[in-house]
Amino acid sequence: MTTTMAPSRQRSGAADRIRSAVVGLDWLLLLGVSAISLYSIFVVGRATENDAAGPRFYLDRQIIFVVVGAVLMVLATRLNLERLARWSWGLWGSLLGGLAVVFLVGTAIKGSNRWIDIGPFNLQPSEMGKVAIAIVLAGIAVDRLEDVGTARFTLFLTAVAAVPAVVVFLQPDLGTSLVYGAVLAAILFLVGVPWSHFAVAGSIMAIMVLAVLWVLPNAGVKVLQDYQVERLTAFIGAERDTSDAGYQLDQSKTAIGSGGAVGKGADGATQSSGNFIPEHHTDFIFAVSGEMFGFVGGALLILLYALVLWRGLRTMARASSQVDMLVAGAIVAMIGFQVFVNIGMTVGIMPITGIPLPLMSYGGSHTLTTLIAIGLLLGIHQRRSAIPG
Amino acid sequence: MSTTFPPRRGPGRGSNRPAGGWAPALTPRTAVRIAILGGIAMGLLGVLLIRLWFLQVINAEQYAERADGNRLRTVITQPPRGNILTRDGVPLVTNTTGENLVARPRELTGERRRQVLAKLAPKIGQTLPALMKKVEAGDNQPLQSVVLARNIDPGLYRYLAERRRDFPGISLEETFLRSYPQGQLAAHVLGSTGPITAEQIKDLRRRGYAGDETIGVDGVEQQYESVLRGTPGRSVVEVDAAGEPQGREYISSRSAVPGRDVRLSIDSKTQVALEQALAEAARVTGAVGAAGVALDPKTGEVLALGSYPTFSPQTFVTRKDKAVSALFNDPDRPLNDRAIAGVYPAGSTFKAITAAAALRSGIITPTTPLESPSSIVLYKQRFQNFEENSHGVIDLPYALRVSSDTYFYQVADDLYKAQSEKNDVYPLQAEARRFGLGDETGIDLPGEVPANVPDPPWKKRAYADPQYTDFQRSWLAGDTIQLGVGQGFLQVTPLQMAVAYGAIANGGTLYTPTVGMEVRDPNGRVVQELSKGRPTRPLGVSPADLEAIKQGLYDAANAELGTSTSVFGALPDEVKVAGKTGTAEPGDGGEDHSWFVGYAPFDDPSIVVSIVIERGGTGANAAAPAVCSTMAANLDFDPDLCGDPVASR
Repeated sequence: MTTTMAPSRQRSGAADRIRSAVVGLDWLLLLGVSAISLYSIFVVGRATENDAAGPRFYLDRQIIFVVVGAVLMVLATRLNLERLARWSWGLWGSLLGGLAVVFLVGTAIKGSNRWIDIGPFNLQPSEMGKVAIAIVLAGIAVDRLEDVGTARFTLFLTAVAAVPAVVVFLQPDLGTSLVYGAVLAAILFLVGVPWSHFAVAGSIMAIMVLAVLWVLPNAGVKVLQDYQVERLTAFIGAERDTSDAGYQLDQSKTAIGSGGAVGKGADGATQSSGNFIPEHHTDFIFAVSGEMFGFVGGALLILLYALVLWRGLRTMARASSQVDMLVAGAIVAMIGFQVFVNIGMTVGIMPITGIPLPLMSYGGSHTLTTLIAIGLLLGIHQRRSAIPG
Repeated sequence: MSTTFPPRRGPGRGSNRPAGGWAPALTPRTAVRIAILGGIAMGLLGVLLIRLWFLQVINAEQYAERADGNRLRTVITQPPRGNILTRDGVPLVTNTTGENLVARPRELTGERRRQVLAKLAPKIGQTLPALMKKVEAGDNQPLQSVVLARNIDPGLYRYLAERRRDFPGISLEETFLRSYPQGQLAAHVLGSTGPITAEQIKDLRRRGYAGDETIGVDGVEQQYESVLRGTPGRSVVEVDAAGEPQGREYISSRSAVPGRDVRLSIDSKTQVALEQALAEAARVTGAVGAAGVALDPKTGEVLALGSYPTFSPQTFVTRKDKAVSALFNDPDRPLNDRAIAGVYPAGSTFKAITAAAALRSGIITPTTPLESPSSIVLYKQRFQNFEENSHGVIDLPYALRVSSDTYFYQVADDLYKAQSEKNDVYPLQAEARRFGLGDETGIDLPGEVPANVPDPPWKKRAYADPQYTDFQRSWLAGDTIQLGVGQGFLQVTPLQMAVAYGAIANGGTLYTPTVGMEVRDPNGRVVQELSKGRPTRPLGVSPADLEAIKQGLYDAANAELGTSTSVFGALPDEVKVAGKTGTAEPGDGGEDHSWFVGYAPFDDPSIVVSIVIERGGTGANAAAPAVCSTMAANLDFDPDLCGDPVASR
């Protein structure tokens, strides 16, 4: 094998830079991401054109988010993860700091406190945290590679992820904390933690789920709010469940099912235009898409996600460093987990946890975060490509 | 293990980091794990695809139907019911608007239904099971809304209107309500409106009712339901999740056609006077009930029809449970229309019919002289005259004038002798039936009773029970003799007597009485005559005989010793009254029912009035003054001309 070329920074000449950028670019990933983002703008626009906020309110904002996200994505490709990973603890501290600010500032907002109000937009640090925690965990893991396999390593990494995850869970935002968990699991898995650890973790989780949903409530201890339990368990319920969560789920399935093979088109999507689908531009946007474009549209979208994940996996396999590989793996897990849980929720095979559909759901922090993550993937791909051989 | 394969990439920048950080990115172990990760990811996406196929391809139709059910709502708009007016144009029933509380079963399913209805139940004073049942009844027609409460209070309306979001699937619908500008006037004629009952629903569904409409209950409202109802509008609209219509377009639409107006033959002045007279008579005598009917003898059109005690039809609009059940449980039975459903012995008012029977069978002629002693003995039984009066030898008109019982006992005895059970010949009963007694008059009001003209076969049936002896079942001479003076088993309604006397007044034609006169469209155009063309029947009494009866009735109200001369004697010539008092013994030993049936003006009768005051004493006492003041209103004379009654039969 050969030695690596000097990193891009040492390259001189704009032409070289452009050349390496173009040659090393993962065009397929970019294509998939662009297709999904454009489709998202279309669906968000059509789903919200009858909303009280005005026909273009969400559309315009989503366009801004995608454009800003695209810029951040390009910047993210240039991010040196190796170097950034060295600042793992600083990054971790910033994440906790951001979450702490939410707790301080967000108290005024009703319901779930996830956002920091900045002018016309709200910043959701827990979203950014999805990528941050990936880098933090990758950095710490690589720092302690010699410990891999020990219980100490596994527990330590778990603790590092658990602190922000618990904070997010308390916001309360169960969905996002679960994503942190998925990122942690992916990194532990990829870094080579023994199967036995996963078996133990799996058992503990199963016991915890049982405890939270069944044992403790029966013993009179309420860990989750009633509505949370309802949402989590609605998908197990009867075909025509009628709790609020059951109603949401029923409407979502009705929308998707009524879309049929080819959909009703954007104009005929009555479940969406009639506001029957809850959260039609955020959590349940797949239901809108399913109603508009049917199985064909839904399958195409899933295939686009498959494309993105495949490119991510491919990038992992060719990553130029452990950190790159772990971060790429965390991103793949993050996107894959959210896609499955979100779509699974809309079609009634997963609990309703409030996880957005990456690149599709309306939302600033969420769109920016996902595009930054994609940027990181592109960057990892590029760095590997920059090295001949 | 990680050293088995050389690193794929050498260390690059940052080689000052621990060597571990620069371990090869892709060891076989890592490769396996990446592959597993990829396998999981693709597998899960595959699961999603399969699920999607299941929803969108296999079950698409089911969900499409469900989506249509969500977005399409059939809106049934109830038309305003037709108004009901008097013949002189006074509105008796019109419409106003109120709010109904309705539920949409499709949006209220399972646990959510229970939760919402449980919140709602105490607010509208109904029980949860009752509400659940109502909504469940609407499950087979999920697009239709189910009425939970009609005409809710303004306070409740505001409460619910402000908390729409707290009550998903529940909404408010404007509805037409009946309004009664004249209050209680003619309540028994009008009837009321109410929800369709469980027994009616099957039949009504066939006639195009959805089942949650308000229909006429009793009276003209029920009788002319098909006319008053109108045609409901039916529009299919697209709605959003909150039930708000989407866009302005109807998917399909048929607008509601308002009901048509019914103009009654009731004359408002006469009706008011009749009801006041009944109430006044009841007040004076302490009667629990009273009833009266005024007809136009030449057409059978009802000019007034009243029953005391009366009720406010508004009670059934407001539908306060307490007030409604109080009406139903009132021992005085105010909802009962005594004019058409109250049965009483006719008392002496029946003597005109006994006279007709005797004249027809030739037992007497108008001039046949008969002794009218204070009492006579027939079949070893003593029959007395009223107050043991004795009138000497008298003819038929005189017998009617003074209401001689002994005269009619003798006549009735002869009629008894003329009857034959073997040949089924009963001259007196046959005459009574010719005058329309013992059968429904056929008035266009629901709830009329046939009452009873007793004859031997009837008595056998009535006493069929083994507890009675054969003797009790057998028809006795005394039964006919009692019948001859309108006592015994005879039962009549005030309406029947009005029709019978109307036939005397108009020269011998029995009319079918009518309340409805014509149907008008909302523009006031007459589209149907209701009172024309109803069956009539000749009495078949010869003019000379009828003349004698009429003379007797005239004398009874005007001549010296006439039973009601004290009341009617002072009336001017152009409104002379002919009529007969009646003092009916109820047979329970209690106070007598007071009757008067008469017509006026004598020369060219335009009104016949029949009034009974329950336990009002003698006929002249309570009923005659009530008839006089009713006629005063109709014929436009001063009611003060009606004299004070003197007790007489």
